[in-house]
Amino acid sequence: MRKVILLVILCNFQSLFAQNDIEKKISLHFENSTKLEVIKRIEELSNYKFYFIEDWLDDKTISGNYNNVNLPILLDKIFNNTLVNYYITADNKVILTLNNLIHDSLPDGFFGDLKENIAEYEETSPVFYNQESSLEKSVVETVRIGKETKESLQKNYKLTGYVKNLNTNEPIPNLAIVVQNKNINALTNNKGYYSIQLPPGVNYIETKALGIKSLIKKVIIYNNGTLNFNLREDSEILDEVIIEANQERNVKEALTGVTQLKVEEIKSIPLVLGERDILKVATTMPGIKTAGEGSSGYNVRGGKEDQNLILLDNAVLYNPAHFFGIFSALNPFTSGDVNIYKGNMPAEYGGRLSSVFEINTKNGNNQNFSGEASLGPVTSNLTLELPVVKDKASLIVGARGTYSDWILKSIDEESIKNSEASFFDIVAKYNHEINDKNNIEATGYYSKDAFSITSDSLYSYNNRLFSLKWNHSFNDKNSGSLIIANSEYRFNIDYDGEIDSDFNLGYKINETELKFKMKYIHSEKHKFDYGISSKLFLVNPGTIEPKGTESIVEQFNIPKEKAIESAVFISDNFKVNEKLLFNIGIRYSLYSSLGEASQRVYAKGLPRNEGTVRDTLNFAKNEVAKTYGGPEFRTSARYFLTPSFSIKGSFNSTFQYIHTLSNNTTVSPTDTWKLSDLNIKPQQAKQYSLGFYKNLNGNLYELSLEGYFKKSKNILDYKVGAELLLNENIETEVLQGEGKAYGVEFLIKKTKGKLNGWLGYSYSRSFVKLDSEFGEERVNSGEYFPSNFDKPHDLSLITNYKITKRYSFSANFTYQTGRPITYPIGKYIYNGEERVLYSDRNKFRIPDYYRFDIGFNVEGNHKIKKFAHSFWNISIYNVLGRNNPYSVFFVTEKGKIKAYQSSIFSIPIPTITYNFKF
Amino acid sequence: MNYRKLHLILILIIGIYTNSCVTPFDIKTITFESALVVEATISNEIKQQEINLSRTFDLEEKGPYTESNADVIIIDDLQNIYNFNETTPGKYISNEEFGAVANRNYQLKIVTNEGKSYASQQTQLTNTAQIDKVYAEKSEDGKGINIFVDSYNPNGNSRYYRYVYEETFKIIASKWSYRDLVLVSKYPTIFDFVPRDENKRNCYKTIYSKGIIQTETNNLIDDKVTKFHVRHINNDNYIISHRYSMLLKQYVQSQEAYTFYKTLEDLSGSESLLSQNQPGFVSGNVFSEDNSNEKVIGFFEVSSVSTKRIFFSPKDLDLIVPYPRPYPVPCHLTAPQLNPRYELSLFEYLESGRFLFYARNGPGAPPVDPPNGGPYIMTEIACGDCTEIGTNITPDFWVE
Repeated sequence: MRKVILLVILCNFQSLFAQNDIEKKISLHFENSTKLEVIKRIEELSNYKFYFIEDWLDDKTISGNYNNVNLPILLDKIFNNTLVNYYITADNKVILTLNNLIHDSLPDGFFGDLKENIAEYEETSPVFYNQESSLEKSVVETVRIGKETKESLQKNYKLTGYVKNLNTNEPIPNLAIVVQNKNINALTNNKGYYSIQLPPGVNYIETKALGIKSLIKKVIIYNNGTLNFNLREDSEILDEVIIEANQERNVKEALTGVTQLKVEEIKSIPLVLGERDILKVATTMPGIKTAGEGSSGYNVRGGKEDQNLILLDNAVLYNPAHFFGIFSALNPFTSGDVNIYKGNMPAEYGGRLSSVFEINTKNGNNQNFSGEASLGPVTSNLTLELPVVKDKASLIVGARGTYSDWILKSIDEESIKNSEASFFDIVAKYNHEINDKNNIEATGYYSKDAFSITSDSLYSYNNRLFSLKWNHSFNDKNSGSLIIANSEYRFNIDYDGEIDSDFNLGYKINETELKFKMKYIHSEKHKFDYGISSKLFLVNPGTIEPKGTESIVEQFNIPKEKAIESAVFISDNFKVNEKLLFNIGIRYSLYSSLGEASQRVYAKGLPRNEGTVRDTLNFAKNEVAKTYGGPEFRTSARYFLTPSFSIKGSFNSTFQYIHTLSNNTTVSPTDTWKLSDLNIKPQQAKQYSLGFYKNLNGNLYELSLEGYFKKSKNILDYKVGAELLLNENIETEVLQGEGKAYGVEFLIKKTKGKLNGWLGYSYSRSFVKLDSEFGEERVNSGEYFPSNFDKPHDLSLITNYKITKRYSFSANFTYQTGRPITYPIGKYIYNGEERVLYSDRNKFRIPDYYRFDIGFNVEGNHKIKKFAHSFWNISIYNVLGRNNPYSVFFVTEKGKIKAYQSSIFSIPIPTITYNFKF
Repeated sequence: MNYRKLHLILILIIGIYTNSCVTPFDIKTITFESALVVEATISNEIKQQEINLSRTFDLEEKGPYTESNADVIIIDDLQNIYNFNETTPGKYISNEEFGAVANRNYQLKIVTNEGKSYASQQTQLTNTAQIDKVYAEKSEDGKGINIFVDSYNPNGNSRYYRYVYEETFKIIASKWSYRDLVLVSKYPTIFDFVPRDENKRNCYKTIYSKGIIQTETNNLIDDKVTKFHVRHINNDNYIISHRYSMLLKQYVQSQEAYTFYKTLEDLSGSESLLSQNQPGFVSGNVFSEDNSNEKVIGFFEVSSVSTKRIFFSPKDLDLIVPYPRPYPVPCHLTAPQLNPRYELSLFEYLESGRFLFYARNGPGAPPVDPPNGGPYIMTEIACGDCTEIGTNITPDFWVE
């Protein structure tokens, strides 16, 4: 009905004449009558005919007494304080309109005759609103505000109102009211009240806030008015909003060397064997490397593999790899995001020299039961999200396993049948929003790997961790978290040979950390983070026990090691002004090696061996054997050169009290962790970095260029052929040297659009120096030599092209300088057999590494009612079939030397994986 | 080989298409560094002790280069000097017989022909341990024998053992004939038969073990070596065709010496595909006195030794030896023509001195290659005369 009237008005628009003289006078008396009644009386008393819709007239009664008044005067009185306008035609027709005022002349410039001040006219134009298209009619509600008056054609009218949460009826503060395509916006205050100046006419108003469903209303402004919103909560939009919020992180934060990855972003990257592996993707970022395809562990900015603090929901994950690093130990479906601090570490973290990997598990869906599953050629994965208390608590559980074992078992060959290679991991996180002020998160994780390289021995290792975090908000300014975390890593060798020498060999490390951290927002300028943490280490460095009754293996235990590492930390995010931001942090760590222990004292100035032992000190239970400690500085600054271009610098110093013992060139599962003690000093490092960060095209492109210089000391290395397992006196095999690393890292990242991805390049070097006055403790004449993972050039290109919403194509390219190796420089004969004389350590390099991968992704359609949302990934790893050497080694066979090179993935590897969500 | 197995497992696990592989390649010398190699183990046996000196050589070469004309001495802490003389290039033998004595420090000193001097650390004789027994058993698959050793030191203070052995075995000429064919006259060609010396039929040969065979009892309650596998011999190996003897020597090593040998072996032993031992220079206990950075390879050991000898014949172990019995060299039978068109004539065969008469050709004679042929069957000289391979002097220790 309303629409019909409008159309009539518009059609007749041109035929409306000016109505200058209303001569007919009306006398009228009415009391407590409705407007409708009054209009009817007027119609009776005069020959005026009214056209209107009854709905427009409210039921409020009016009273009045008029004698010989013109109709307009009367109508003005009647329609005062309503939204109704009127228009009187020459033939005594009265057309009522809602909001609109019917104009009897066109505004100047309506037909586009150009005048100097056209812009102003446009702004003050009366509101001619036409029903535009039917496109948004069902989606966008149209609201008319105010009554158009002849007198006040203002540039802007004021719209005010309250925004409330539909579910809780509570006001929504900090909600953005944005006018689309006009640079106008406003925020709601704590009471949910907003006030916004709007130009007359059509405005599309959108509400935006974290966790609130966005709403668009078409608001036609005639005059000042009110508009209240009742909005729904929305959790699905959260992801997008976070990304928006973090878009400027690159240039804005004070910390240098931060790499952030989100699982969602890496979904389409082609990876070997179809595993969506966030840590693998991390290695395509400049500054994060692995020694090779089959190497577990990461080398961050020239640091050793043991120098990374890998935290899964605040608990340390000791071995982040499955199957020699071909898979990472993280479940791709439950992982949320990873922050890698390779430059400046937040002061709350410590205990490792090179980096912190902060891996966060997603919170489960607290609305509906949902899940995700994948089927791959080697592994399968199932993740379930269960709401426990709707809107408040949820549980996410993910389990992943290989089925390689049954493949091996089904092979009809005795030696293979008895071999084994399998892994699984399971992770669960519970998240409970108790109230506005309290929230609890609990995570549990377990992983196990088992493999046999020779048929008589079975190797296995497992990670277990648990963490509990209670977040409490004291008030607007103070909030805190209490964290308790426990991790355990162990490995076992089960030897089942022929004769009476069967044994079980085991290793275990267990750590428990209690941490309390607080956040205090002092002011706009100062934000403090401070806290205290303490960690207890318990290590069983090795036990060997006979297996079976016939074994004559002697039960042997290396005495347990125990230590406590504590720290206090404080950092201030100090905003000097809009341009300059400091993050000044200090951490003081203190480490004590505790008894019960007996430790040797060696003669000073002599190489450490059996012959130079001067004394053996015995320490009682919990007696402090040795204390180390010191301040660690975590300082960085950011300065905005332009709003999207910043320069940052930082200085970072760290201590590491726990070391891996490894005599392999790359990480092996039988590497053990050793605590610092009387004879083994903690490792120390200092890093200086400086970088430039620029965002282009409204954060579409992120650019960064960062350089660093790092020096470390007491880095652990070993004498050639060191026996590290079951060695009570490791210090006689250990060398502690200096490290030096420097590099430049460049990254360009395109975050949005059809084509997205990144290009990372780094030039970096990493050196070690092992010097001593004694030849047996000196490597390469005591000069600096390249470390095992020194790969100067490293280039990674990751691209994804969205062909349509459902189909996308992706490609990776990686190039790295070959890693250093120790190469033979001659042969000799010893005991009648040829042997090899090796060069100085790491004097040569294996050939350069390069690899090209492609992938094609198909997303299932997005029908809402469909049971599952599917995702296919077809990828080919190493398309070029490059035989990248991983290592080169030399073997004496039948008295002669043979040289071999090994490679892990030497031909293209196609994979299809099927993922689905429900 | 570990790496092969792992290779196989990997392939299976990761799917048929994953071709993780280990491929051999030819090593080429990038740079070469010449270093002195010292092999010096003296024992408590009273004998002329032996020290070998050589040098490293290029990867492409066959080597080795011996280190000749060096002055080699051993000095003990009583300033007794034992002089060594070079007998064959690189091999130095002590002038007098001596054996190392417990609780005395010995030091090896070398001055090379170039005038560079080297010295070992002061080294003492290791504790003694006796071999209990050495025994051979037929292997599980029946296709060979394994030799094991048991040793026990009730004092429990020897712990580290290295083994070397000498193998002596009997050779019986496989194409024996009581007669020799000789050329009496060239023109005209006249052959005649003469009796062959019967001492050329049964011989003995001694060979020495190569490589490093070690074990330790550190993790065992008792200092007891139990059924330690020393040697495997296949039944097609000629050394066990008739009768075989092994003299096993057990050297007790110091922990340092054990570690040195073990590291050498580890670095050149089988590798795992995925984790590689850090290779490097293995320093021993011999150092340059002039330049502390110079690489010297070798360990001067003063070891107590225990020896034991065993004998066995295949039938003692019920071992089936293939027929004809394996022989050290391949033996062919040919019957050269007297006046062939293209091939060598019988005359030329005889004149070369590399062939012996085996039998007359004709009906009932063993097959020859090429078939038929001339009147006499000839074979390689080593097949009819074992002194070409070993010695016909029965060793003193030999027990039939």
